[in-house]
Amino acid sequence: METYKLRVNGEAKEVTVDPGTPLLWVLREDLKMTGTKYGCGIAACGACTVHLGGVATRSCVVPVSLVGDRPIVTIEGIGEDPVGRAVQKAWVSEDVVQCGYCQSGQIMSAVALLKSAPKPTESNIEESMGGNLCRCATYVRIREAIKIAAQQMS
Amino acid sequence: MVCARKAMPRIFLVVLIACAIGPAMPPRAWGQSASGKDAATPATRDAGLAAWQQVYSVLTHPRCVNCHTATNYPQQGDDRHRHLVNVVRGPGDKGVPGLNCATCHQSANAESTGVPGGPNWHLAPLSMKWQDPQDRILSSAQVCQSLTDRAKNHNLDGAGILKHHEEEPLVLWAFQPGHRRDGTARSLPPLTHDEFVAATRTWVEAGTPCPKNP
Repeated sequence: METYKLRVNGEAKEVTVDPGTPLLWVLREDLKMTGTKYGCGIAACGACTVHLGGVATRSCVVPVSLVGDRPIVTIEGIGEDPVGRAVQKAWVSEDVVQCGYCQSGQIMSAVALLKSAPKPTESNIEESMGGNLCRCATYVRIREAIKIAAQQMS
Repeated sequence: MVCARKAMPRIFLVVLIACAIGPAMPPRAWGQSASGKDAATPATRDAGLAAWQQVYSVLTHPRCVNCHTATNYPQQGDDRHRHLVNVVRGPGDKGVPGLNCATCHQSANAESTGVPGGPNWHLAPLSMKWQDPQDRILSSAQVCQSLTDRAKNHNLDGAGILKHHEEEPLVLWAFQPGHRRDGTARSLPPLTHDEFVAATRTWVEAGTPCPKNP
């Protein structure tokens, strides 16, 4: 077991865990932040996406030992960010969510996209969101919500 | 592997020869001097070509060639299948926002989760593609010509290529690729890193000759 000092949503946290523990389980089990979801456990679905040092990251495959001093932002904190706020509003206005399980990951990826490409093309959306799966197939509404968020930001 | 190791004594012999005649050799050449005549002596050129084949055997191993694609996606595994999760190359060869290489690949191998990693994980640029658009590996001559074309290789001369093979973190990763999720070790290139560097040095000292046949 090792002790790690993390910065999550702007707050300092300290956890003592096995170095190989995926960040996802540190967030969910040790810090009790359950907004980030476990989907596949192999980085194939995107449900566990958080921002690590500003990069959308699959927390299920990143051992806490490799986090370092990079700040972590989760779905619980993304609303503090202007882009995150715009995306969440668009998600509500477009009534994107069905079962909701994948949506925290979808939002985290969408925010990462819009931070780099404030006016994304269809191709940008297709490529950037291509790793986030939704078994309810809310893809059409996700796409529209991203466009609306982009419009609101411009 | 066996063939590669049998070839090593010959390579070391060539290193000795190259050191002995080094001052008479041009600083760099692609098998030919600027005048179009052979830059190296026949013996050195032959040894250089033999060393190149050793280098080629490494460059075309899945640990290397999987990220030297001609397409808009990387490959995975020893069967070189298309990378899962709809990963695409992106404008800077590092994926796209929301789905970068760094979305999964960290600065080191993640042994507990089986995801490989190294500093600045990224695809090789398209100018350094060692496959065709149908994912077939290019010939020895084609890879050699590409690797030694300074318009394609970030303007590296022979010494620069040698340094790249010696020190580039992602090259070093190929020789310490870690374990898969199931705990089995990823396969290694047919040479050790030391052998790879020695073969590259022999090839460079011979003037980076390339095979003539495609």
